[in-house]
Amino acid sequence: MRFLMALCLLLLAAAPAGAADGGRPVRVVAPWEITGVDPARAGYIFGRMGVAETLVTVDTAGHLVPALAQRWSQSDDRLTWRFALRPEARFHDGTAVTAGAVAAALERSRAAGVLGRAPLESIAADGDDVVIRTRTPFAPLPAFLANHTAMVLAPAAYDAEGRVNAVIGTGPFRVSSLTPPLRLEVERFDGWWGPAPAVARASYLAVPQGETRALMAESGEADLAFGLLPVTVDRLRRNPRVAVHAVPVPRTRLLKVNAGAPFFDDVRERRALSLAIDRAGIAAAILRSPGSAAGQLMSPGQAAWHVADLTPLRHDPEEAKRLLAEAGWRPGADGILEQDGRPFRVQVRTYSNWPELPAIATVLQAQFRAVGIDLTVSVANSSDIPAGHRDGSLHLGLVARNFSLVPDPLGTLMEDYGPEGGDWGAMNWSSPELTDILATLGAGVDDAEAAALRRRAMTILQDALPVIPVAWFDLMVAANERLGPVTVDPFEISYGLATLKPVR
Amino acid sequence: MTAVTLAAAPPPRARFGRRGAGAVIVAALIAFGTLGPLLITADPARQDLGNALAPMFGDYWLGTDHYGRSLLARLAHATGLSLALAALTVAGAAVPGVALGLLAAWRGGWTDRAAGALADMVLALPGLLLVLLFAAFAPGEFLPLYLGLALAQWVEYFRVTRATARSVLARSHVEAARLLGFGPPYIARHLLLPELAPVLGTLMAFGMGTAVLAISTLSFISIGLHPPTAEWGSMVTELLPYYAEAPAHVLSPAVMILLTVLGFHLLAGAERP
Amino acid sequence: MAGILRPLAGRAVQALTVALLVGLVSFALMHALPGDPAMRIAASRYGPDLMTAEAAERVRAELGLDRPMPVQLAEWVGRLATFDLGRSLVTGAPVAEELEIQLGASLWLAGAALALSMALGLPAGLLAGMRAGRLPDHLALAAAVLLRALPVFVTGLVLIIVFAVWLGWLPAAGFGGWRDLLLPGLTLAFGLAALSSRVTRDATAAVLAAPYVAFARTKGLPERLVVLRHGVRNAAIPVVAVLGLQLVYLVEGMVVVESLFAYPGIGHALVHAIIARDVPMVQGTALAMGLTFVLVNAVVDLLCAALDPRQVAR
Repeated sequence: MRFLMALCLLLLAAAPAGAADGGRPVRVVAPWEITGVDPARAGYIFGRMGVAETLVTVDTAGHLVPALAQRWSQSDDRLTWRFALRPEARFHDGTAVTAGAVAAALERSRAAGVLGRAPLESIAADGDDVVIRTRTPFAPLPAFLANHTAMVLAPAAYDAEGRVNAVIGTGPFRVSSLTPPLRLEVERFDGWWGPAPAVARASYLAVPQGETRALMAESGEADLAFGLLPVTVDRLRRNPRVAVHAVPVPRTRLLKVNAGAPFFDDVRERRALSLAIDRAGIAAAILRSPGSAAGQLMSPGQAAWHVADLTPLRHDPEEAKRLLAEAGWRPGADGILEQDGRPFRVQVRTYSNWPELPAIATVLQAQFRAVGIDLTVSVANSSDIPAGHRDGSLHLGLVARNFSLVPDPLGTLMEDYGPEGGDWGAMNWSSPELTDILATLGAGVDDAEAAALRRRAMTILQDALPVIPVAWFDLMVAANERLGPVTVDPFEISYGLATLKPVR
Repeated sequence: MTAVTLAAAPPPRARFGRRGAGAVIVAALIAFGTLGPLLITADPARQDLGNALAPMFGDYWLGTDHYGRSLLARLAHATGLSLALAALTVAGAAVPGVALGLLAAWRGGWTDRAAGALADMVLALPGLLLVLLFAAFAPGEFLPLYLGLALAQWVEYFRVTRATARSVLARSHVEAARLLGFGPPYIARHLLLPELAPVLGTLMAFGMGTAVLAISTLSFISIGLHPPTAEWGSMVTELLPYYAEAPAHVLSPAVMILLTVLGFHLLAGAERP
Repeated sequence: MAGILRPLAGRAVQALTVALLVGLVSFALMHALPGDPAMRIAASRYGPDLMTAEAAERVRAELGLDRPMPVQLAEWVGRLATFDLGRSLVTGAPVAEELEIQLGASLWLAGAALALSMALGLPAGLLAGMRAGRLPDHLALAAAVLLRALPVFVTGLVLIIVFAVWLGWLPAAGFGGWRDLLLPGLTLAFGLAALSSRVTRDATAAVLAAPYVAFARTKGLPERLVVLRHGVRNAAIPVVAVLGLQLVYLVEGMVVVESLFAYPGIGHALVHAIIARDVPMVQGTALAMGLTFVLVNAVVDLLCAALDPRQVAR
């Protein structure tokens, strides 16, 4: 008996030792499918898995840090940017990362990526540097370059027609097998410029169902499980083998409002709508994260943009009814408000890419009904929101807007709240003052002035409510204990595989 | 041997027990679906977020769903809708399917080939494609979904009817009956029907369940009905994530589907002495 | 022999017709659908975060979605003649390449499900049919109703919890090995076995009650031989007809199973292609499914003919 026990102990001791040389692969599961190898399509997956890199990236605090470019500088006229590449960087096919190759890759990404939205004049190679010229001073350019659509692939990654046919990047891991749309396997790339990662192999599996992801985390099949459903989180927290991280990310679920529609053209109507929403109820019952009730557009996690002393948006149905009455809405026979014979019947469009959005829409339906608004919920394709913005047919759209697409929220704000509004932002609403503020911030000003301008911008949005914030966003991640300490990137740029130190 | 002695003997008394049980279940379901919404005054769309997933037999008889809506009220409102539309789908699939199947088997030759080709063509178009396309034309509406389902399912009835009928008609005793001058109505009623009825009964009973489950499948892939409509299939899907916290709540609409399949299956008397 | 070859030649003609019909119908329907295809494609390509109306305009220009419909259709038919299915509008990969992975995965899954369902459903049905109205029959009915009335994803979830989380025997999700096939295959097989066991049971009971079986019994044949010689053969006809159909219907259940078990497959491909208005992918998947159906159909016909030669003679 004692012998058997000794044998067991020996086996137990031997098993982790056998796993020492890299061990079993780190298995990541997430809801996002690999819709293609082009950086503009599923590039973020290749970026997060450490296959491809951008010139610049951000740390978990949101500061821009060097990646493929070791440093950068801006000319005195603020129109020319010079990025110095790492001389030791290699593509996965062994070729050197030349300025010419980088410029060519960035040029290609202008077609479909966020770079196309920056006022670029030219991208060129100059010796070992990449030089980017802008038409006007554009302070957030390095942040734009941190977006996954601007990742750098080797010249051999493109076919004769310029299509990407393989992801040949520069990151710490290279693709060892790819089965779109579900699986990606990577292995350590020894030619990486950074310190060699402890993880030798990793795999990514797209698992569309949140239930399955949670069960895989529970059974130990998944080492890192992303995008957990709120309801599964409590259960996972009780599992000693799993550490659950809830990281606030710069994403806000908001109601995009057509301020040109007769229902919402009066700011009192938009305020009434906001007052009708029980954000605390939604955060507690649907999102199971009481702190995520959005009192303003930006969450406290975005310290630069969150205005701590702004009066938070409240829930007060009686006040909502009063404001609607002031704006000329009278209860009709069936309890639905009417104005000039027009009943308050509107539609909210939302989509199921984020499974909680249809649920929140269903709650809004009941809460708006309580103040006399008849809301129809249409769960459709996400493209129906920009489409409705363009053809003017949209009343309301419930969206989850990402403010860290370009890590600096300024990029998203410029796109969403310009003079013409934005596909995912304001509709038939604009504020010359806000436009000016965003333009000034874009051109670049000193820190103190920038802080004051950001504060003013947020106050304008809070007062006029061109979009109505509903809830902030917590990224829910389950990590197996064997991974050791795990840092979750709130900007969703990296899974941090290169810095993981799995416990032996 | 004459045709008269071949006619099926009346089923023994014991069968009434099972059929009776089926009739009781179906009648109870129909009563719940019609009277329930009148007697249960709670609004199936009224939410009470602070009281989400309330337990059964507390303030709410059957508890509440994840929005704090009364499950009893929702089930009552869902029953009428789900039963009516499932019956519609089954009828929409079975009537043309059986009629064409009988015609094809009886007439044979060109009729048979033409009907067979039509069925093959419909089957070759994935049923899912039809349903999804119908759903895409009118997102969130019921009828297109069920129409698409019926359109995809009639072939099942057609093929089973045709295969069974052909096999029966080819048997010597049926040929004898034909030669003896018994007309199609007699042969259909006394020789075909006893063979066909059990198989069709099974198909239809399960078809009721299939129609409801198809809706839950569609809501699972996020092609569903407009909220806050109460419908069994979409209720199962909606509640599924809460299975660990409130398993009984998830099962309550599933139990309704189960009763429907069981009830109709027993009622169809799908058995032979 | 000609009696078998003729229907096969007929099937070949049918396959060709199906190919054209499926292509035409899916093309026409996809273009008749409401909504702007360029918007849909852009949303599927870039996701909601990066999708904008400008992106949709670029997609429109890149794919030539403005061109007249007949031109686009003629292009598809022309390519099909050279066995080129085109490229997916979303991923940009050749449709044939994507189908290879997805159809292959689906066929493995369908095969596993069918085999498991036959292993479960046929013995259960046969036993129930031979003991009609007695305890085995009631138990089989209860099991069938239970399995058939539960949504596929509930069955699947229960299987994952039991076999992957509690017992740790099988993977909850993934693909590539035979172990990955077992849970999704079993999930589908339960639903299939529920129906096929009932059809088997009814057919067996019906056959055993038929006059020619009674005659065989009177003749003095032992019960086992009666069942084997007359029962199984005659009962098999509706069962085979239903099983053949089920393989086609399997695709529907597969969509859920694929999504639940993160398994690649054609149902998943079709749903996503329809949502994205990815016409070449819709045509390609529908074509693959249609041709699979024709093949299954041919096999079912051959089997039925072998079981009941009188049908061929008629």
